Amino acid sequence: MLNHVLRRFFQAFLVLILVALLIFLMLRVVPGNPIATMMGEHANAAAIERMTSELGLDQPIPVQFFRYILNALRGDFGTSYSMGKPVDRLIRTAFPNTLILALCAALFAWVVGIVCGTISAVRKNSVLDRLFMGFSLLGVSVPVFMAAMILQYVFAYHLHWLDISGVKSWKSFILPAVALGWNSAGSISRLVRSTLLEILQADYIDTARAKGRGQAGVLIFHAMRNAMLPVVTMMALQLSSLLSGAVITESIFAVNGIGRLAVQAIEGRDIPLLQGTALFSTALVILGNLTADLLYGVLDPRIRKEVVR
Amino acid sequence: MKQMKKTFALLLSMILALAMVPALADDPGEGVLRTAVLYDISTMDVTKTTDDYMIPMNVFDRLFETRMIDGTSQAVGSLCADFSVSEDGLTYNFVLREGVVFSNGSPLTASDVQYSFERLLKENRSNTDVALEVAGAEAVVNGESDSLAGFAIADDTHFSITLSVPNAGFIAELSAPFMSIVDAETMAEAKQFGADPADTIGSGPYIITEWVSNDHYTLVYNPLYWGAEPSVKKLIVSVIPDAGTQDLMFRNGELDIIDLQGLDSAIVESAYKPVWPEKIVSTPKVGLTYLAVNSGNEFLSDVRVRKAIGMALDVESIISGIYYDNAVRENGIIPTGIWGHNDALSGFEFDPDGARALLSQAGYKDGDVHFVLALDNTAGSNVRLVYEAVSMYLEAVGIRAEVRSYDHSSWLDLRNSGAMDAFVARWGMDYNDPANIMYTFFGSPANTAVRSLNYPDTEVMERVSAARAIVDDGEREAEYRALEQKIIGEDAAWIPMFEELHLYCLGDRVASFTPHWAGFSDFYIIDVVLK
Repeated sequence: MLNHVLRRFFQAFLVLILVALLIFLMLRVVPGNPIATMMGEHANAAAIERMTSELGLDQPIPVQFFRYILNALRGDFGTSYSMGKPVDRLIRTAFPNTLILALCAALFAWVVGIVCGTISAVRKNSVLDRLFMGFSLLGVSVPVFMAAMILQYVFAYHLHWLDISGVKSWKSFILPAVALGWNSAGSISRLVRSTLLEILQADYIDTARAKGRGQAGVLIFHAMRNAMLPVVTMMALQLSSLLSGAVITESIFAVNGIGRLAVQAIEGRDIPLLQGTALFSTALVILGNLTADLLYGVLDPRIRKEVVR
Repeated sequence: MKQMKKTFALLLSMILALAMVPALADDPGEGVLRTAVLYDISTMDVTKTTDDYMIPMNVFDRLFETRMIDGTSQAVGSLCADFSVSEDGLTYNFVLREGVVFSNGSPLTASDVQYSFERLLKENRSNTDVALEVAGAEAVVNGESDSLAGFAIADDTHFSITLSVPNAGFIAELSAPFMSIVDAETMAEAKQFGADPADTIGSGPYIITEWVSNDHYTLVYNPLYWGAEPSVKKLIVSVIPDAGTQDLMFRNGELDIIDLQGLDSAIVESAYKPVWPEKIVSTPKVGLTYLAVNSGNEFLSDVRVRKAIGMALDVESIISGIYYDNAVRENGIIPTGIWGHNDALSGFEFDPDGARALLSQAGYKDGDVHFVLALDNTAGSNVRLVYEAVSMYLEAVGIRAEVRSYDHSSWLDLRNSGAMDAFVARWGMDYNDPANIMYTFFGSPANTAVRSLNYPDTEVMERVSAARAIVDDGEREAEYRALEQKIIGEDAAWIPMFEELHLYCLGDRVASFTPHWAGFSDFYIIDVVLK
């Protein structure tokens, strides 16, 4: 098992290096001069050339790449061209907000999604089932920006229960988390419902019932455990995607997070910041997938055995 | 079913009851002003920006400031108590205001002014134009000299600046935000000037105490400031990237001033002007929105085609349809509000038939003339509409202008290369002198090339450059008028369109607000008076 984990970590590291190389090359192929953008409209050609040389951007690309990787391994991702601050510091400042927002959104999505999906499956075709599936359908079909604006208008502006924007206290994360997590909650509840409905028809469920297990016992210990496999995959992917930045939600609620930082980097052709945020987001996605892989082993003994073998 | 209806009714009545709860915005405290911006500043250092002037304008002073006096903008002494100019217009003798100290207590001396000029040249990034006019500037830029030969210090408060060539607009130029004076002593120790508030020390009315990237920055009153104590003691500028969120915050009493230019014009017209007519403050955005046409382009090199473009555009309809009349028509290069502006200039009349006739004269049939209208994708919604309108008007006379969107960096790169066919852009004035726009666009082959104008008449460019040195105001004004007539009337080298109005709405806590003289989004905080 340990070997498997180590192997997966090594693979993840290789993927990260490959992604870093791709991002690095792509940023140097696309049109647009980052130094001219950084120095503004008044900068003359000589000044642009001098700054290009100062930043080492006139060096051969392999030299630039290896220098970047070496510095990155030491935790130095360079200084943002557009903001004049170290990239790692900017990411460190923005990431806690993104992390809290993503975790709150994920928690909302998972709890609401699993509870609604389970009740819908157990009470198939009931009023509750229709209500919850309607809620899920809205979640997957209403765009995030629309949900965000409606929530903001009703609960912050009109009712004054929560903050309109910014991060002032833990309450500031409620509306963005619901706006961001609603879509995921909808997907999860629909997946939980369909998976559970299929599993509840299986022979081993009848066997469990025949052995005298109660409804709750059958549901929790037999049906849910098996139904969770695809759900965990979806949850891990959703968490990775939520962590790698929720640009629209962050913009509407003025949350200083990774998503906004990335957009700013793209608009300003800020190569160090763009490389830093892209690499960081990639690492989070890889970590999410790795966690899902490892969780499979915990949830499904067959996979665990296969890995050990 | 009955039970469900009851539950639903109960839930609905609870929501309605809660909706009746009155608005309770937090009390910000006495002397606190709150406003918001769509984008964060990128730096507090004026050598590194041509946009982010809020901190420079309020934390630093300049020798002069441009202020509105009796309805006109004028350069008035700030750190400069007195000055005189030599007869040849080359040497300026200055006297510094006595007793001025920076916010860390360090006294202001003539050496600080010299250091500030030399720093602009040594950094050689943005905003070097004015410092480059001083004799010996090139040697500093090239690293051949450490100090400016044209800068002579007599004592702590007396110094002179000698220019390479006379420039009648020099005093106006010294009021530009990028001519901020920094403390040489502080700079010697500052590690992160412009990035860290603790290192960003000026002599202006405010001190920057906090800057959280992409979140907010805070300025507080500088008790060592030499001028009158302002009404606002603390300013909090929040970075709210969504204009709709800013709108809700303002309505909720969380903002004291809202910059309405981020909001859709239709919202401003329907939801602000009728509701708060007495709280709307407007000022001209002194500058020009223009259509740049590349004289080096296959089709646009023909003056008849360029004139046809000017005649094809119904600028008045663009102003009323897109800007709801919050803009004024411009016909020349020097915009309204700038010394030397010519009201009598006729410009291009909307005449689609005339445009077609000109194209026909040039030998072009419907659809023969085609080019790309390059759009910077960071442009706001109104500018995008202007692009669509321009394309539509040109199509109506048989010109195919394809609107193509570029990311900002690619757009800038293409424009700087001189290969951009055409684009709509706005030039805002940094100081009140015609050279700020005339020289920047038509002062040299390099200047016209970097803006993809590629104006070919070198004789005219020499005249534009020489006009800066004309000391007699009347003579200079006459020369600028003649040059405008030549560049626009005869050569149609660019198509002037309009000057926008910048609108703000004031909250209940604000008694009065005078926006920046040139309509910048950045403003002098001392110009806000709280109730």
